[in-house]
Amino acid sequence: MTYCGHDSHCITCSDEAVPLRVVKIDEDRELALCENESGERTTVEIAFVQPLSLDDVVLVHAGTAIGRAA
Amino acid sequence: MKYVDEYRDADLGRALAGEILATVEPGRHYKVMEVCGGHTHSIYKYGVDDLLPANVELVHGPGCPVCVIPMGRVDDGIALAHEPGVIFTCFGDMMRVPGSNGTLLEAKAEGADIRMVYSPLDALRIAKQNPEREVVFFAIGFETTAPSTALTLKRAKTEGVRNFSCMCSHVTIVPPLRALLDSPDLRLDGFVGPGHVATVVGARPFEFIPADYRKPVVISGFEPLDILQGVHMILKQLREGRCEVENQYARVVPYEGNVRALEVMAEVFELRPHFEWRGLGFISHSGLKLSEAYADLDAERRWSVPGIRVADPKACQCGEVLKGVIKPFECKVFGTACTPERPIGTCMVSSEGACAAYYNYGRFAREREVV
Repeated sequence: MTYCGHDSHCITCSDEAVPLRVVKIDEDRELALCENESGERTTVEIAFVQPLSLDDVVLVHAGTAIGRAA
Repeated sequence: MKYVDEYRDADLGRALAGEILATVEPGRHYKVMEVCGGHTHSIYKYGVDDLLPANVELVHGPGCPVCVIPMGRVDDGIALAHEPGVIFTCFGDMMRVPGSNGTLLEAKAEGADIRMVYSPLDALRIAKQNPEREVVFFAIGFETTAPSTALTLKRAKTEGVRNFSCMCSHVTIVPPLRALLDSPDLRLDGFVGPGHVATVVGARPFEFIPADYRKPVVISGFEPLDILQGVHMILKQLREGRCEVENQYARVVPYEGNVRALEVMAEVFELRPHFEWRGLGFISHSGLKLSEAYADLDAERRWSVPGIRVADPKACQCGEVLKGVIKPFECKVFGTACTPERPIGTCMVSSEGACAAYYNYGRFAREREVV
């Protein structure tokens, strides 16, 4: 899901955000389960992009959704 | 995947390259700076520069947060990591950045408990799992990463996690851009603006560039077609005698940014009077520290941090690379004494660093092939 190292792309350290599709939402804890294009899933903080719906695409950087693709 | 595949279409890329060629004025040399390290990486990964006319030069800016961390700051981190009972956490690329006496990775090999995390929230999780230890998160990054740190600190405070603290080295993008624009040795025609910083801060903070310096800015996405279109929009502004902030990345970047993220950042952080940037020196109001309300989570208050100042290695020309004055291959030690395996300068450490991007994608030549 995320990579670090000189032979790969370190998305955490850079000004990079990955588009992920929302598959499950926990509104109370402000968390969402999201999926990338390969089907890998990760839990994401969604406090900055609420409210979300299933299948929305969010931009995730360092475990936090900072924006949404419209 | 939607929002990815359609921005990597080769036919559309060739068509855009044709439009760029038709826009440039023969005999004029254009220097366009991509501010962000993520752009630098994409440009070389996808060979975007090979699609540009020979008289359009891409200059790589200071937008890699790892590359701008001064050696003294790494030394401070290593000193904290050696404090008894501390688990020191940081992003992967920081582990390999040389301080004056080794890297965090070497300090780990010597016995310090240093752990790589992908997110500040991972560091908070480690703190909750190890209540008898002190967990320090070494926070780096621009406004893209700072909201995640802010949210983590807010959670730590709300949940009363007392064994968690943050060594804050977050930086902001506008002050170094102003410093670059004031630099007498740099002549730029326009900027590819940082798309994900702008997702958080919006487009407004970049308005000073056309207003005060008469240079166009196009905030751009990170896929190859985004970058090509961003460059085309800059060249079109120049052709038409315009200079303004345009938003190529409108599918993601709202003009006013992410208001909620900005509110949380304003609550958790405040500006430092000065912050040292590798190669650029001290820049006023360019770094963030924890606000008074979060002072109890500030690692630099919890421990006495040495505050070491170290001059950059003489052989290293990272400063000139970061300012776009020289290309990476023009540095005296590029690819010889300084490689990704044994970096001297930070630009070779991070994959977003201009030197590492040149090295990894084989850009050793002084002349590039022209399509």
